[in-house]
Amino acid sequence: MTAIWWAISEGDTAALAVGAPAALAAALISLALHPDPLPVVRPLGLLRFAGFFLVHSVRGGIDVALRALKPSMPIDPRIITYDLRLPGNTARVVFTNTLSLLPGTLSAKLGRDTLEVHVLDCAGEVTAEIARVEDRVADLFGVRLAPHAGGAC
Amino acid sequence: MMSTLDTLTAGIEYALYAAGAFFFLAGSVGLVRFPDVYTRLHALTKADNLGLGLVCLGLAVRAGSPVVALKLLLIWLLVLGAGATACYLVAEAARAAEVAPWTRGERR
Amino acid sequence: MDPVLGALAAFIMVTAFLGILRIERGPSGADRMLSAMLFGTTGVALALVLAEAIGSAGARDAGLVFALLGAVTAVAFVKRAWRAGE
Repeated sequence: MTAIWWAISEGDTAALAVGAPAALAAALISLALHPDPLPVVRPLGLLRFAGFFLVHSVRGGIDVALRALKPSMPIDPRIITYDLRLPGNTARVVFTNTLSLLPGTLSAKLGRDTLEVHVLDCAGEVTAEIARVEDRVADLFGVRLAPHAGGAC
Repeated sequence: MMSTLDTLTAGIEYALYAAGAFFFLAGSVGLVRFPDVYTRLHALTKADNLGLGLVCLGLAVRAGSPVVALKLLLIWLLVLGAGATACYLVAEAARAAEVAPWTRGERR
Repeated sequence: MDPVLGALAAFIMVTAFLGILRIERGPSGADRMLSAMLFGTTGVALALVLAEAIGSAGARDAGLVFALLGAVTAVAFVKRAWRAGE
């Protein structure tokens, strides 16, 4: 957090006198408010995830931009229920938010062990695509998942 | 005198702005054209966040300062996280209010 | 001021104005909320572009504050403002 403060103050070291204690206090308060130990993100997994996310969020933007601009507006939306394999709330929330930024999928409701996903175009292997994203999030947290059973859109 | 390198960086910078502007436009067009709240969320969350990312990248190229680039990256990540969360909250609220998703064949 | 930055800022502003159409048409409160979210993202972009155009780091912080407020408004909207049928 101190590093973030340094960036926000654009490298002004004098601002650290205020920023460093504030960052420490914020860290302690958020730890106190968060009862469960946070799952550990693996540095290599984070790097792989960042690369995956960057490429596919760009694809997501291009995909929806073209659909919005084409006169025929090719969409065939539906809400599907996806069976979650990921354990742990933090990993699930990361997965939920990631999906909304990737091509054609938007998380609509996180249930106990399912996720309702709004799909922009039901053509293609949507469920397999979602499962691949879940695998990537699992890799980020160092978890291995059994293969997804799949299912039609 | 502009060196070849300066011309090249300026070219990259302006190309990034143009691409960013394109996605801002597409996001707004989607928001107006798409038929229901869920599909509009797709346009807003994905296109506008990519537009902002490209504009931030262009500005970072222009600034040529690592700390400003880092700050721009942080702002983009913050908007991404907040945008995805806000998107989920609105979609969930729409589900809770039983807003039916638009399906093909319905009038737009 | 670099005219390219000025043109970019003006263009982003135009795309934000398109969002007003969605406020007018609605139909639900959630649809209008989308316009507010649009103003959030375009607002951040505008602040950052103008900060560079006028060479002011302070304006960049305005972008940062926009980004933070954007997160809070959506939460407030969902928790307090919107009920079914509105």
